[in-house]
Amino acid sequence: MKSNQPLNSEKVFRPANLDELDALAAQTAEGVTYVAGATDLLVQEERWKSARILVDLTAVKALHATLEVRENGVLIGAAVPLSRLIRHPLIRERLPILVETCRQIGSVQIQNRASLGGNIANASPAGDTLPVLSVLEAELRIGPRQNGEFEKLSLDQVMLGPGQTSLNGNRYIAQIFIPFPPRDAFWYFRKVGQRQALAISKVSLAVLGKKKEEKIEEIRICPGSVTPQIVRAQKTESLLRGQPLTEERIEKARAAIECEVSPITDIRSTTEYRRRITGELLREALYLWLRN
Amino acid sequence: MDESKKPKAISRRKFIKGVGTGIVGTYVVPSALSAIGKEEKKGPKEDWIPISLTVNGKKVRVKVEPRMTLAELLREELELTGTKVVCNRGECGGCTVVLDGKAVYSCHILALDADGKEVLTVEGLMQGEALHPLQEAFWEKDGLQCGFCTPGQIMAAYALLKRRPRPSVEEIKEGMSGNLCRCAAYPKIIESVQAAAEKMAGRSS
Ligand SMILES: Cc1cc2nc3c(=O)[nH]c(=O)nc-3n(C[C@H](O)[C@H](O)[C@H](O)COP(=O)(O)OP(=O)(O)OC[C@H]3O[C@@H](n4cnc5c(N)ncnc54)[C@H](O)[C@@H]3O)c2cc1C
Ligand code: FES
Ligand code: FES
Repeated sequence: MKSNQPLNSEKVFRPANLDELDALAAQTAEGVTYVAGATDLLVQEERWKSARILVDLTAVKALHATLEVRENGVLIGAAVPLSRLIRHPLIRERLPILVETCRQIGSVQIQNRASLGGNIANASPAGDTLPVLSVLEAELRIGPRQNGEFEKLSLDQVMLGPGQTSLNGNRYIAQIFIPFPPRDAFWYFRKVGQRQALAISKVSLAVLGKKKEEKIEEIRICPGSVTPQIVRAQKTESLLRGQPLTEERIEKARAAIECEVSPITDIRSTTEYRRRITGELLREALYLWLRN
Repeated sequence: MDESKKPKAISRRKFIKGVGTGIVGTYVVPSALSAIGKEEKKGPKEDWIPISLTVNGKKVRVKVEPRMTLAELLREELELTGTKVVCNRGECGGCTVVLDGKAVYSCHILALDADGKEVLTVEGLMQGEALHPLQEAFWEKDGLQCGFCTPGQIMAAYALLKRRPRPSVEEIKEGMSGNLCRCAAYPKIIESVQAAAEKMAGRSS
């Protein structure tokens, strides 16, 4: 900074409840920067420095503390630290795919701070929870409330591309509802990075499936990190749905997903590598399912 | 819960004054004071925000710059330099402290966020002149070479042992995967944590 004259005003707000948060969101004409665990924000220096109005979400109980297990699923506050999910006995039992994914994010210190809302709103195609929330068909509840209600959106209505979301006009993610898959559902999540801990995914794959009388009744497949938006591999899914799971089918599915995904090339790896690995991951997943 | 009630109108002014928020209230500061780039000068102290927290068992009231990290507060304001800052971007674990019982990267948390919370740093482990079992174990088992990562390793291990008093090697590896050691003393670090777990189990029974 050339002079030490203050240029803009900079404010930090810490609303204590939803009403205050909603009032703040609605009454602030300027865009605000929401802060949950700050694990992404604090390393994005440009974004962090240019933020004029910071709104800390961690005092709003509805966002920071909500963890409500219901019969058909769980409602999770967008700012709840991932470590709470990892240690919750019922979430471990009913959503092992989510727990496994969270355990692979950063390290314990990161998991003690990082949140689902931050992972989604950061909108990185490498956000590890995104493919998993997609196969779980999570429902996002978006504030500020209109007539006392959150707007309900799916993940692909919120995450539009790298760094891009539909959360304009101070809208924020309040909560995430995750329906429980059937208890006997098959699940798979694997990320391929440069090393085990503290690695950004180069390619990841989430699969959730259910068989009925030896046929695939339902299958959801979502690659992570390979495409700018988080999209399920629907063509590959329909190739498998209603079919018996055989080695031949698995090879077809692998070929299909390699055609279906159109990966990005970036500093972490090339298109061809990502395409091949996505196919191999699907193959691995389906063989595991075949054999268990 | 009043959170579920219909939104009531709250003026910006009310926020700015922090009326009714109770918890930390709200802060307004001029932006030239922003200090995430450490090269930038911090603003005059009268613009800093008062917080109170417990550090190593002692109540502390202190004023912080809004973007000051917890590590900066500990090292520069409170002169607790046992906590080391290495990468300053949440990747190495050197700055690990225990916040309300959980291991966190202090370089990666705003000091403001520690308001009302309890911080434990490596300085808080000794009881009088007696080393903590973890410190003893790292010393006895050579759990360090240069020692720069050690305060962070010890604090991560402290949080791990609170949660899992008798961790397996796998659990130690997972629990401490956020702490890098440039000297690659990992095998000895794991041995040290196991030895500390034994000592602690022996002492509490
Ligand atoms: C060392 C390290 C390792 C990491 N490893 C991984 C990894 O393995 N996998 C992975 O996926 N990520 C990883 N991350 C990234 C990060 O930890 C995650 O993306 C995390 O989930 C972000 O959550 P947060 O609460 O910290 O977000 P914040 O940093 O607080 O926020 C991130 C963004 O989302 C916005 N935001 C936050 N909450 C909301 C909300 N409720 N509504 C609207 N906008 C919101 C913020 O304004 C900001 O733009 C890592 C980060 C670090 C520093
Ligand atoms: S100095 Fe904080 S994690 Fe490296
Ligand atoms: S002992 Fe030197 S960095 Fe770990």
